[in-house]
This record gives sequence, C-alpha cells and structure tokens, in this order.
Amino acid sequence: MDGDSSLGSGPLIQLLVDRVVEDPATDTRILVLARKDGGLDHFMVWVGSSEGEAIKRALDTAVTKRPMSHDLIKSFGEHLGVTTERVVLTDVKSSTYYATVFLENKGVTRTLDARPSDAIALALRCQAPIYVTQDVWQRRSGQQLDAWLSKLETKNIGAQEV
Amino acid sequence: MITQMQVKGLMFDPYNNAYIVILRDDDQVEMLPIWVGKAEASSISLALEKVAPPRPMTHDFMKSYLDAFDAKVISVVITDLNENTYFAKIHLMYGDSEYTVDSRPSDAIALALRSQAPIFASESVIRKQSSEELGQWLENLKPEDFGKLDS
Repeated sequence: MDGDSSLGSGPLIQLLVDRVVEDPATDTRILVLARKDGGLDHFMVWVGSSEGEAIKRALDTAVTKRPMSHDLIKSFGEHLGVTTERVVLTDVKSSTYYATVFLENKGVTRTLDARPSDAIALALRCQAPIYVTQDVWQRRSGQQLDAWLSKLETKNIGAQEV
Repeated sequence: MITQMQVKGLMFDPYNNAYIVILRDDDQVEMLPIWVGKAEASSISLALEKVAPPRPMTHDFMKSYLDAFDAKVISVVITDLNENTYFAKIHLMYGDSEYTVDSRPSDAIALALRSQAPIFASESVIRKQSSEELGQWLENLKPEDFGKLDS
C-alpha cells in the first residue's frame, strides 16, 4: 500500500540538524534538517516548544544545572550500557512524522517507536546518526516552505537583537 | 529517613505562571509543593489521568527505553532542596544490579507514575520546605486555580 513504508525502500539518507527556528505565530519550533551529503534541500519538522528547546540545548551543547529529560535518558544508557546506535525517520501520516530509535546492549538490538523530537534530542546527545528513509524524504513538506522560512528568520533576527 | 509521598494533584500557579505538583505523605501531615514547567506538568497530568496520548510523549519514550532492556524503576526519591531547586534520584534495577541516576523531580515523578514506582522524599527536604508559608499561600488560591490542566 502507498501509505506503508519500510526501511528497505532504498538507501537511507543521513541528516544533520541545521538549526531550530522559532515560529512566533504559534508556540512551536521548526526543526530544520539538512542532508549530510551536501544536498541543498532541507527537511523540516514542526515540534513543540519544549521539544525544540531540548534539541537546541543539544546543538548549543548547553549545560544545565540539573539533567533535562533527554540528558536523563542518555544517563540511563550510560548506567545500563545501552548505546543509541541511530535514529530513523520512518514514516509520515497526516503531516505527523514517525521515528524509530535503534538501541544496542551486549549485542542485542532493540527498536523503539518515538516522536522525531525525542529521537533527535537523544541522538544529538549520544552522537548517533540521524537518517530518513527515501520514501519519507520524497514525501516531506519542506521545499515550498524554504522561502517562507527565510522570511521568518529575517524577522527573528531583528527580534533577537532587541 | 525517607517518607513515601503520593501525588495529590497538580495546580496552576498564576503568580509565577508555572505549575505545582503537590506531594503529600500517607498521613496527610507533610506536604511538598514542587514547581515544574508546563511540558513536565502536562506529562504528569497525562499519567495521573491515565491518558494514553496518540504518540509516545518524552516520559513514555523514557519508560519504553527502560522496558526494552527490562530495567525497572524501583523507586524515586526527592533528595535535596537547594536555593528553591529540588533534586531527585531514580533507583533502577537492571539484571542483578541497582543503579542510582540523578534527575529533576519532574522527570522522576513522571516516570514513577508510569512505572507504578513509589515516590519518596528525604527528611531534610521536608524539613527545609516551610509548610506554614505554603499553607498561607494555598489559602489565598481561588477554587478556579485548581482547574484541570489543558495540555
């Protein structure tokens, strides 16, 4: 079926988190992902403000007084010997993206269903690669938003300088 | 010494534009208010009301992370209060070993509620927080401040 996707539909595309942009109109953040191979197209995911901030803190390697939620998950991994191997954006349905987190411990691999925001917030803290399937990449809703996004960021820069 | 606490509720604090988790001991003698952020309050509220969101929220993901390797949350303890900031520890059982992990109380409570794990507070934390002051503060709250969280 058209809506079904699997990891086997062509090579995965590795993504890097480019930036987190504030959407001042709504209480959300736009997570902008770029292709690691240098391709110019972007991949954008709308996330909640606290999820966006969790990703931004990882990008900025910000240190907080107490561990935040994803620092805690990372800390669980360090205590238990669980490695975050990679995260994959596996599906999109009604503009909602789905992610899978691959974990490894003593040769055993487990996969977890996650929201992309949690998957990416954890991946950044664990230096784990982030991938998207060919299928989800093709169905992303980013391209036509590039112009809109640059307009938004111009506005944001002004606001931040105040 | 530690005292077992129950989550009695969640309130909006209109003066600080934040949320408060109210912990009480079983004898209803001690009360511990813990200020938490909106996302954390929303997560605790979902657990209290046993609402399963369509997508796993951060603490659901945290729980399934531990479940994936059969690590169990034995208990969480609110251990310290320093400059109005609470600190907590999560006790995990994994294999034959116990692990203690530093955490914010909000994460610890959100995870404990999802894991049916008991929540404790250390004696020093209960001693440090002035319940008298809190009682006064609570009296000033209007009933509508106790409304349900809209997450």
